[in-house]
Amino acid sequence: MLFLLAGFLVVLLQTTFLHLLPLGPIVPDLILVLCVYWGLNHPTVGAVLGSFLLGYSVDVFSSPVLGLNAFAMSLVFLAVYLSSRCIWIHNPLLSAAVVFCASWVKGIALILVGTLFLAVDGLWMGVLKYIFLEALVAAMLAPAVFSLLRHGQRYLEEARMPF
Amino acid sequence: MLAFVRRNQVLLASFLCVLFSLLILSAAARGRLQRDPIGPLLLELMRPLQIGAQATVAKLKEIQHRYGTFRGLASENDRLKGRITELEAERNRLLEVEATNRRFRELLELRSQLPSGSLTATVISNSASTWFRSFVLDKGSADGVLQGMAVVSPVGVAGQVVAVTSRSAKVLLVTDPHSGVDVIVQRSRARGIVSGSLEGAPIMKYVKRSEDIQEGDRLITSGLDGTFPKGLLVGTVAKVRKKSFGLFQYVEVSLAVDPSRIEEVLVVSAETPSQ
Repeated sequence: MLFLLAGFLVVLLQTTFLHLLPLGPIVPDLILVLCVYWGLNHPTVGAVLGSFLLGYSVDVFSSPVLGLNAFAMSLVFLAVYLSSRCIWIHNPLLSAAVVFCASWVKGIALILVGTLFLAVDGLWMGVLKYIFLEALVAAMLAPAVFSLLRHGQRYLEEARMPF
Repeated sequence: MLAFVRRNQVLLASFLCVLFSLLILSAAARGRLQRDPIGPLLLELMRPLQIGAQATVAKLKEIQHRYGTFRGLASENDRLKGRITELEAERNRLLEVEATNRRFRELLELRSQLPSGSLTATVISNSASTWFRSFVLDKGSADGVLQGMAVVSPVGVAGQVVAVTSRSAKVLLVTDPHSGVDVIVQRSRARGIVSGSLEGAPIMKYVKRSEDIQEGDRLITSGLDGTFPKGLLVGTVAKVRKKSFGLFQYVEVSLAVDPSRIEEVLVVSAETPSQ
């Protein structure tokens, strides 16, 4: 339930309100932050599907080819899930660092599959700066989003809603 | 086997999703993906939400734009105010330069009419006392200024050098009670001495009762005092009063020069006699 709600909200935010922020071409990637949150805190099959669907929805709304973001988000979830086994401490700084790395994973994955399947040459050249900036923005937002999600989760648990 | 799957269900699901997305991508990239069952559903589901959100975004953008415009206008206003101040200062400076230029041109014209050896000087300070009418020039003996030299402006006579240092000279103005300029009435050639007065306007002394003098008559230097060259305008007769007794008439003079407004003057060689 929370997955669905959060997913809808994040997609809605990312396709509308977040464009209001004065960040130039950079749109804060809340979808990525949500996937990382799920990978770190709720590694379930539902979260796996949620990540895939979030990536897929980005493809539906933005990508020229279906599957690009679905692949990237699934990979991000997998990477975070695997690394979460080694992460014992949870604090805002660490969550920001994980999101930063996840953003790079996503960016590199997009470049690789873009080069492989879409035969786009020279993607590396101009896009690295944007990956870095996007990773930075996502990392900065991560602690606040994580905290918000934890509060929402706690609220729903207290209201005895199925999670 | 089932236990393995259950234990690693997240990992397996993740791998499956990665593989599945690669399959979708591969099919889509080769144009083999004919139907997308989830995409249209997602679009339909999100459509009303996005329409509502987009309307809010449009409103917010408008507010943002207005705020930006307002801020832009405010800063533009500040910038233009600053520019106006700068231009006003520039205009004042140019007007001042123009006025100075005009005065210097007049001085040059006057200089060409005066005997050679005259030099231009600038007033650097005014009298510090109510009792005396004087000012100080920026030229002194090092520049050739000597005591007793006449000081004139393009409009008329200003005064006489009474003290000189190497780099400055003190000028006693014609409005000072201690000064005296030998003048003649231009129309009737009647003679007299124009001197300042503490009480009011300067007066023309020693004008005989029999002399023909009228209000409005122009008074010019006679050149006989050996200080002022002949023919320079001193002023005009403002008031004439003949008393029933005494040898002289009472004549008030309106000076051609307002000493308080003089900024540049010509210092005329005292040794040069009248023309």
